[in-house]
Amino acid sequence: MKNILKTRISFLLVLCLMVSVLSISAQDTVKAEPSVKLRYFVNNNNIQYLMVKSVIGKKLLPLPMKVVNVYLDSAGADNLIIKTTTDKIGKAIVFIPVAFQEKWKSNAKHNFIAVMEGATPEEEVTAELEITKSKIEIDTSSSEDGVRTITVKVMFYENNTWVPAPDVEMRVGVSRLGGILSAGDAETYTTDSTGSVSVEFKRDSLAGDLQGNYILAAKVEDNDSYGNLLVEKTVPWGVAYEPDTTFFSLRTLWTTQFRAPYWLLFMAYSIVLGVWGTMIYLIRQMWKIKKLGDAVGK
Amino acid sequence: MENKDTSRRDFLATALLAGVAAGCGPKKNPFDDYAGNDVKASGEMVKLLSVNGDIIEIDKAFLKPVPDLPPVSNDEARRGIAGKKFVMVIDLSRCKNVKACQKACNHMHQVHPGQNWIKVLEMQDAEQTAPYWEPTTCMHCDEPPCVKVCPVDATFKRQDGIVLIDSDRCIGCRFCMAACPYSARVFNWEDPGLPTEVADQDYSCESSMPQKKGTVGKCDFCPDMTRTGELPHCVSACPNGVFMFGDMNQDTVTNGAETFRFSELIKEKSGYRLMEDLGTKPSVYYLPPVNRNFPFESGLENQIADDKIKHSK
Amino acid sequence: MENIKHLTSEQITQDLFPRKFGKLGMLWTGILLLVAALGLYAYYRQLRYGLIVTNMRDYVSWGIYISNFVFFVAISLVGSLITAVFRLTKVEWSTPLTRIAEIIAVSAIVFASLIIVIDMGRPERFMNLALHGRIQSPIMWDVIVICTYFFISILLLYFPLLPDLQIMLKYKEKSSNALNKLYRFQGSFWKGTPEQFKISDRAINILCILIVPVAFSIHTVTSWLFATTYRPGWDSTNFGAYFISGAFLVGSGAVVVAMYVFRKAYQLENYITEKHFEKMGRVVVLLALLYLYFNINEYLVPAFKMKKAEEVHLMGLFSGEFAPLFWTAIMIGMIIPIFVLIFKSGRKPLPMFIVGCMVVLGAWFKRYLIVTPTLLHPFLPMQDVPASYHHYFPSWEEWAIAGGSMAGVLLVITFFVRIYPIIPIHETIEENEKHTQNQD
Repeated sequence: MKNILKTRISFLLVLCLMVSVLSISAQDTVKAEPSVKLRYFVNNNNIQYLMVKSVIGKKLLPLPMKVVNVYLDSAGADNLIIKTTTDKIGKAIVFIPVAFQEKWKSNAKHNFIAVMEGATPEEEVTAELEITKSKIEIDTSSSEDGVRTITVKVMFYENNTWVPAPDVEMRVGVSRLGGILSAGDAETYTTDSTGSVSVEFKRDSLAGDLQGNYILAAKVEDNDSYGNLLVEKTVPWGVAYEPDTTFFSLRTLWTTQFRAPYWLLFMAYSIVLGVWGTMIYLIRQMWKIKKLGDAVGK
Repeated sequence: MENKDTSRRDFLATALLAGVAAGCGPKKNPFDDYAGNDVKASGEMVKLLSVNGDIIEIDKAFLKPVPDLPPVSNDEARRGIAGKKFVMVIDLSRCKNVKACQKACNHMHQVHPGQNWIKVLEMQDAEQTAPYWEPTTCMHCDEPPCVKVCPVDATFKRQDGIVLIDSDRCIGCRFCMAACPYSARVFNWEDPGLPTEVADQDYSCESSMPQKKGTVGKCDFCPDMTRTGELPHCVSACPNGVFMFGDMNQDTVTNGAETFRFSELIKEKSGYRLMEDLGTKPSVYYLPPVNRNFPFESGLENQIADDKIKHSK
Repeated sequence: MENIKHLTSEQITQDLFPRKFGKLGMLWTGILLLVAALGLYAYYRQLRYGLIVTNMRDYVSWGIYISNFVFFVAISLVGSLITAVFRLTKVEWSTPLTRIAEIIAVSAIVFASLIIVIDMGRPERFMNLALHGRIQSPIMWDVIVICTYFFISILLLYFPLLPDLQIMLKYKEKSSNALNKLYRFQGSFWKGTPEQFKISDRAINILCILIVPVAFSIHTVTSWLFATTYRPGWDSTNFGAYFISGAFLVGSGAVVVAMYVFRKAYQLENYITEKHFEKMGRVVVLLALLYLYFNINEYLVPAFKMKKAEEVHLMGLFSGEFAPLFWTAIMIGMIIPIFVLIFKSGRKPLPMFIVGCMVVLGAWFKRYLIVTPTLLHPFLPMQDVPASYHHYFPSWEEWAIAGGSMAGVLLVITFFVRIYPIIPIHETIEENEKHTQNQD
C-alpha cells in the first residue's frame, strides 16, 4: 500500500514538474485564459449543491465577480438552474431549486453545465460535469478487546434501486480544519465489491471538544461518477478539551492598551504624575508672580 | 399538534446541524459550544431539493456553506476565533522554490509588485553545510516583538494566535518592521494602485484588504479562509505540499492532500522553529531539509533576477 | 569675569539688546528660509505620493529622518547640561551661555518631534497616539517624555527671561511697537520685587533639578527605540549611556559653534570671552573622552566575540561599505577634537569653532551610522526583493526635508535672537556688580 502511494506520489510529482515547466513556457507565449470549474457536493446525504469557481491561467488563480449560468442536463432557458455571480475569491454555491424536482427524479444520472459569460459571446467558457446519484453511510463498532472500527458504505442509484459502489477512493478519519486526519495508517481507502470500507481506529487520546466528542468523517473527493460525498458521525472517543481562557486576562507587553502590565502602569503613571504635578506647581508659582506684579502695578 | 411541530423542528435542526458543509463549516467544528458561534434562526425559510428528490425546508441562516458570510466586525477580527490556536508547519525537504505559494498569496492580497509577504530564501547555514530553500511567512509569534512596540494597537495578537494589522489605524511609524527579527513585514510606500472597486471596500483585518498607502502589511494566516473552514492560499497553492496548516488544539495539520497529527509529525521529523533563542515563540514550525524530494539546484531557475546576480558572484 | 568689571549697566544693556538684522543677517535668514521652503516643497511631494519619494524600502525602513531625529534629540540635551547641571553646581562662568543652550534645546526638540511626524506614513493619524496609545510601546514613552521636556525647557527659558523683559520694556523706544506688545504680554507683570525674585529663583532651581532626569529620559528612551529590538548593532545594554554621552558632546559642540557665531555677529567679545571658550574646550574634551569610552564599549565588546549576525554588521562598519564614513565620524567626532582641545592653544575661539563644527558634523554621521547599517543586516538574508531594497542612499526629497528641518532649527534660533537678548542682561549686570563689589 505504502509503495503504491509512493509511486503514485512520485508519478504525480513528475507530472507536476512537467506541467509547471509547460506552464512556464506556455505563459511566455499564451495569454492567461479564464476558465470555469464545476464540482458537485453531497454532505450527509442531504442537500446537494454545486461549487462554481471562476479561475484564470494555468495556475487557476481565482477570478472574482464573474457571471455564470448553470444548467441541468442541457443548456437551454428551461434548464437554467441559476444565473449567479462568483464572489471575491471566484466562488459561487449553487443549490438545486424545488422547481427541478421532476427533472431530478426522472434520471439516475445528470449533467451539469456551467457557462461563464465573457465580454463577447466568443469569450464564453463552458464546463460540464456528469454525476450519478449516490449515498454514503458511516457506522462504528467496538470489539470486546476495545478495538474500534469504522465502516463506510457507498451506494449508487441505478434502475430505481441502490447498488453497492466498488472502487471508490475515500478518506476515513476525524474531521479537522481543512482536512481529515486518517483513522488508520493509510491516507486513503478504497471500497471493496460490497461498496464497503472497514478501518481500524488508531488515533488514541486525540483531542475532542469540551465533552471529548469529535466528528468522524468519510469523504469521497472528486470522484468521476459521484462527485464529492461526505458523511459524518459524532463519537465520544476523544479527550475532553480544556479551553485556555487566560488569554483575555493576560497582562503582558504585547497585549492591547487595555491590558498593560500593572508594574508598567504604576511606573508610568507615577513618573508622569510626579513630573507634571511639579510642572503644574511651577505654573501656579508663575501665576503668583503675576499677581504680585499686578499688585505692585496698582 | 404541538408535539408534531417540535419533532419537525427537531428534524430540521438535526438535518441542518449535520450541515451541508464541506470541510469544516463553523457550526460543525467540535469546539463550537465554546466558540459561541451559535447560529440564530433568521426566520427566512428556503426550499431546496435533496438527492432523493425530496423537498427540504431550511432556515436560511442554517444553510451551509453560508452563501454570504456576514463581514466580521473589527471587534471580532481583533478578538479572533475562540478555542483555536493556529499553527503552520513548513517542510523544507519538499520545497524547490516553485513560489506558487508566493504567487497565490500576492494575487489574493494584491501585494504591491516586487514586494512579497511570503519569501522563499536561499539558505546555507555554513560554508560546508548544504543549501536549501526556506519559505518564510509571518511567524505569528506568541511573544510578538512587533506587537510589543506598536504605539497604537494597530498590530495585535488574537486569542487564536494570529497577529494581524489594522490598516485603518496604523500610523506608519514602521517600528514593528524594525522590531521583527524575521523581516516579515512590508510597507506600502506608495498608493497600492488597486482597482477602485477593491480600493473602495471597507478594510478588513482578516483579509488584510484593501492595502492602504502609508501602512504596514504582512502575512495574515488567512483568517478569512479559516473562518469558512478552508486553508490559507499558500497552503492550497503549493504543488509539493510544503505548507501544512491546522489548529494546535485539534493537534492536526494538513496541506489538503495529507493530514498529520501535529505532535507526531513534529516529533518524528524533528521539527523546530526559527531563532528559538530570541524567545519570540513562533507559531510556524519547520521540518529539516532531510531526505529531500528535489535537489537544491532545481529551484535555482525560479530565483528572481536580482538574487541570481548575487548568486553568480 | 574680570574683563567686564568696568562696564556700566547701561553699557551692558546697550551691548546685549536685541538688534535688527544687518545685511549679513538678512542674507542668512533669506538662505535659511529658502532651504526651509525647499524642504516644505519636498514634504508636499511626500504627502502627495507617499514615502515612495524617499529611498527607504522594506529593509531600510528608517533612514535619515530617524537619524536626524536622534541627532536633534541629542543636541537638545545640552539645555539641561549647561543650564541645569552647571547652575546646580554653581559654575558661574556658564551664565552667558545658558540662554544659548536653552534655545538650542527648545528649537531642536520642536523639530525632533516634527521630523517624527514627517517620517510617519500616515501623519494625519497622529491623534491615534492619544486615542489608542499603548503605554507598552517605547514610542509612546518617547512621545510623553518629549512633550514633557519641551514644556520644561520652555519654562526654563521663560523664568530667567522675565527680568530681561522688564529691562526691554524700559527701553521701549529701541523696539518696534509689535515687539513691545509682545514683551508686555509676556512680562509686564514682572516688577522685580524681592518676593517675585524669591519665587522665581526657587522655581528655576526646581526646574533645574526636574529637567535632568527628564533629559536623561528623552535620550535614553530614544536609544531604546533601537535597543528594544533584536537587531545586531542595536541590541545593546550600553545604548542609553552611549546615547547620552554622545548627546552631551554634540550639544556642547553646538553651543561652542553658536558662541563663536554670536560673538562675531554681535561683537560680544566682552561677554563671551576667551575664558568661556577655554572652559567650554575643557568640557568638550571631557565629553569627547567619555563618548569615546562608550564607543569602545559599544564596538569592542561585540567585536571581541564576533557573533555571526554582529560580524556582518561590524565588518561593514570597520572595513566594509560604511568604513569611510565610520572612521571619518570617529575621527572628526572624537579623536581630532580630543587632540586639538587638550592643548591650551587649541581652546582659542577659532580652533574651538572649527572643532565644534567637526563635532556636530561627526555626530550627525554617527547617528546615520547607528540607524542605517543595522537595518541593512537583518537576520534572514535579503532576498526575493528588488535590488534597490539592498542599498540605501537618501533621495533628494529626504535631503531637502532633513536640510529644511535643520534650517528650521536655525531659523527659530535666529528669530529668537532678533527678539530676545541671547545673553541674559539682568544676570550679567548682577554678576558684574557682584564682581565690582568684590574688587572694591
